[in-house]
Amino acid sequence: MSFYTLFFDFIRLSLKALSERRARAILTIVGIAIGPLVLVMMSSVVSSYSDYIVERVTSLGQNAIAVFPMENYKIDGEDLDFIRSLPEIARAEPFFSTQGILKRGTEEIKVSIFAIDYTLLFEAIGSLKISEGDVPSGLLYSIVGRKVSFRDGGEQYFALNDILTLTIPKIESGKITGRKNINVYVGAILEEYGGALIVDPDSTVFLSPEAGKKLLGMKDWSGIFILVHDPSFVRSVVSTLRSKYENKLQVIAFSAIAEAISSVTDAIGFINFSTSLSAFAVAVAGVAATMITSVMERTREIGVMKAIGYTSIQILTLILLESIVMSLIGASLGISLGTVGAHMLSSRGLTIGGVGLTLQLAPKITPTLILQTLSLTVMIGLLGGALPAYRASRIPPIVALRYE
Amino acid sequence: MENSKKILIELVNVYKEYRVSEISTLALKNVNFKVYEGDLVAIMGPSGSGKTTLLNMLGLLDRPTSGKILFEDKDTSKLSDKELALLRNIKLGFVFQIFNLVNRLTVFENIELPLIPRAVPRSLRAEMVKEALLKAGGELEWLKKKPNQLSGGQQQRVAIARAIVGNPPIVLADEPTGNLDRASAKIIIETFLNLNRKGHSVIVVTHDPEVANCMRNIYVIRDGAIMGAYEPNPSESLISKMM
Ligand SMILES: Nc1ncnc2c1ncn2[C@@H]1O[C@H](COP(=O)(O)OP(=O)(O)O)[C@@H](O)[C@H]1O
Ligand SMILES: [Mg+2]
Repeated sequence: MSFYTLFFDFIRLSLKALSERRARAILTIVGIAIGPLVLVMMSSVVSSYSDYIVERVTSLGQNAIAVFPMENYKIDGEDLDFIRSLPEIARAEPFFSTQGILKRGTEEIKVSIFAIDYTLLFEAIGSLKISEGDVPSGLLYSIVGRKVSFRDGGEQYFALNDILTLTIPKIESGKITGRKNINVYVGAILEEYGGALIVDPDSTVFLSPEAGKKLLGMKDWSGIFILVHDPSFVRSVVSTLRSKYENKLQVIAFSAIAEAISSVTDAIGFINFSTSLSAFAVAVAGVAATMITSVMERTREIGVMKAIGYTSIQILTLILLESIVMSLIGASLGISLGTVGAHMLSSRGLTIGGVGLTLQLAPKITPTLILQTLSLTVMIGLLGGALPAYRASRIPPIVALRYE
Repeated sequence: MENSKKILIELVNVYKEYRVSEISTLALKNVNFKVYEGDLVAIMGPSGSGKTTLLNMLGLLDRPTSGKILFEDKDTSKLSDKELALLRNIKLGFVFQIFNLVNRLTVFENIELPLIPRAVPRSLRAEMVKEALLKAGGELEWLKKKPNQLSGGQQQRVAIARAIVGNPPIVLADEPTGNLDRASAKIIIETFLNLNRKGHSVIVVTHDPEVANCMRNIYVIRDGAIMGAYEPNPSESLISKMM
């Protein structure tokens, strides 16, 4: 009871003291707000994109590995048999892939064509779901992504059993010699997957491997898709393959990509954090300057308060409360502006070069981020206020009776 | 008669030396002084004679270089700064030459100030503040005003209200009329006389003989030493002279 009385009186006195020198307090608060603003804005945007990218990459399967032939190398059955013979490997299937143009009424869209064992496809990309139809068995039946069958506006163009006409490169004895058209049926339509990084199922036409061979006219496999029994085997399989096929195969483990992305975004996060820390350091100096000036101006007043019975600890608390109140206001201001800024920043979207993918994600403003920022900002108040508060607490009561 | 009264503060062989770098000033030299319950005392002396230093000692605002200060028979040299602050808060009220009110706070908040460190419940404070202001000769419509909206004499009455809001037995004033015109000074002195009638011991430091002559006892200090006690001359007092 008496503690609360004391506490609220002290808060009230601190607020009055701050409002007396309003302009100075506001400027200091603005200085304090910059750190939390930058921290909230950058962290929330960076983490929303990086989390998304990592999530997408890992959804491709933590136990998936893809191998692609380097230039001048052709994968053959022997390679496939060797890979399948490794004890860690659950499945290994070759695939064909190419690019094609799809006519959709008057418009033409670019699609990927990917011929792979359907069961492996769904096993590897766990979040891939069919929205219409079933996994087809006929040679001429394909599984198409959402953006293949639906226009950007949202209306469906290709329905089940419609015929797609794809223009693909014509390959003769390993060389592209022209173009040709192939026709396939829509056997199933996938649910929207969302932007992906290595494969983009939404704008892909999936074919069975036999169809791939026959329709695409590709003699050589584009690569082999491998699933290992357990994610912990990925590393050893990758190194086995790399040492055996040093200059022949490119070996890509999706988990390694996720790790690389995580480490890059961790580094960005760290840089952002340290940048904000320098803003925080400047704010500490600002608070200290403001408070020391304020204490010096109020030397007599503080002396009077001591004379009428305030203890040194109480004076210390009063001054410290002033700087903490300023930092709390600065924190709320910074966090609010940071939130607005984060939404503005992320609404511009992020285009990932090469993949041609534009992401637009809401910033990740988590309670942890808010709490972390808040406590850092309160630290500004404590650190910046410490010396002035100590100085104030040491002002002797006799200054109340000193007149010059 | 005086011997039967309770001694509130006693200075025993008090020396106070100020040191500023190489220069040292002996502001009090072997001062022995007692404040009794119900006292109405003036301390007189020329500027620089050590009046304020003496008041600092009586008010437990500073520690002596040597000698003892007994407060209600307790040796204060053994008390911590925190315990001294508590004694000042409960037992002493201070009135200053330049009022020392906090201008950003209202009159009410200024008077309330000594009640905060001892966490007097808010519900009790309004009454205590009003009572103190009336006792100090103030008017209740000042409560919402800021000190700088009041005249000097009015401000000093607010300062007295602040000094007595916790009902301390002792009120110490350092040149309380030094910044006031004669009429305002008279009102302030009458206020002190009133407080004394209500049981407060009042010690007023002044170099103004007309103020000193309003008190019951006068002590003269010169060069840091108490020269002796004098009887006041009421006919030469501020109260008898004016109006
Ligand atoms: N804080 C201080 N530091 C140094 N010298 C001081 C201090 N306070 C007072 N003095 C000196 O002590 C002497 C007595 O001062 P003071 O008690 O203020 O006298 P009075 O109140 O009678 O004018 C003076 O010479 C003054 O200069
Ligand atoms: Mg003086």
